[in-house]
Amino acid sequence: MADPHYMGLINVEIDGELDASQRAELARCLLADPQAQALRGQMRRLAQLLDGMGEVEPPETLRDAVLAALPQSYAKRTGLLSPAWRVAAVLAGVVVAGALLFETVKGPGPASGALSGTILAQTTTMVDSVSLGEGAVSGRVSLYRDRAQLTLRFEVLSRAPVDVVIASGAHTLRVKGLGGPDKSGGAAGSTVPLPDFEMHGQPVDLTFVMDGRPVGKATLRAPAGP
Amino acid sequence: MNEDDDRILVRRCRQGERAACELLLGRYQKPVFNAALRLLRNPEDAKDVAQTAFLKAFEHLADYDPKFKFYSWIYRIAVNEALNVLGSRKPFGELSGEEADEAPGPERRVEGEQVSKAIEEALMSIKPELRTAIVLRHTLHLSYRDMSDVLELPEKTVKSRLYDARQLLRDRLLQRGIL
Repeated sequence: MADPHYMGLINVEIDGELDASQRAELARCLLADPQAQALRGQMRRLAQLLDGMGEVEPPETLRDAVLAALPQSYAKRTGLLSPAWRVAAVLAGVVVAGALLFETVKGPGPASGALSGTILAQTTTMVDSVSLGEGAVSGRVSLYRDRAQLTLRFEVLSRAPVDVVIASGAHTLRVKGLGGPDKSGGAAGSTVPLPDFEMHGQPVDLTFVMDGRPVGKATLRAPAGP
Repeated sequence: MNEDDDRILVRRCRQGERAACELLLGRYQKPVFNAALRLLRNPEDAKDVAQTAFLKAFEHLADYDPKFKFYSWIYRIAVNEALNVLGSRKPFGELSGEEADEAPGPERRVEGEQVSKAIEEALMSIKPELRTAIVLRHTLHLSYRDMSDVLELPEKTVKSRLYDARQLLRDRLLQRGIL
């Protein structure tokens, strides 16, 4: 049976939480005691085996079961439909519908008629979301999936309207005139469909451009598979 | 996992935003399910535990204290649920006839999948509270501090359980010729 003190040090080493003095103490012990060396080898092997036990994907039915049983308070509301967002959505719907202009830089982009309203369909599922912090552009961008199509949802505030360059794989899309100052008690929301963007778990890179200069970046990740 | 993003999602979820709940579920369903599976070694029970844990979390989101990490909270709920399931099973240490028959002698060496099976069996042979320490560290890869938050125990106690668990597993796997 090894000295409990050294046994403890071996465990702390396995967990990567040794400090410098403990490391030196353990090194001295290992040099002086072949039994401690053997014990350390066994414990490290054990940790490798435990770490290497594979993870499995949860059954598909888990997600469905949880969502189906969510409390009624989550049943239909989304953040976009809360009172503050309802005001923002109405204003944004008016402003954004007139102001947005799609410009395909590389690869096919959506037809102008493909620009959807500000409220996503009930069948959409959020697959990633990122906070933009508190810089020149703030708010949140979320990536949704509706069957085989991806959609970006922008809830953005900025001192002036920003363009967003959306790049993923071979596709690049430029969206003009998002955001702007907060005049309605919340960030203006707008939805941008990405009809030709693929779902292979690839990154979707966003660059926010204001007055011709990049002022922020964000990356979301597309789901792996439709 | 990004803790700030979790906090934002929790806030939005509290406001009733279903999509935020879906994103939290997407982030944590895999680790929660795998932790439950390691603790229970039964996929159906693990699924039930994960489902119950998420539903309890969403139902009681108002009780969640944001000074703690969200994952510590959901893992705590899941671990407690799993321990409840274990408590309702047969008493600890009572092996079924099949398991007893399978126990190999000290000379037996196993490889590949049998190693995994042997580790799982060794895990199931130790007390649930010790197994929990192993799962938190080696399945969920939590630090001592996070383990302490999940278990609501001092770090010293957490370390003691983890080290005791490893010692027991080492002894059992040595007996089976795996280490």
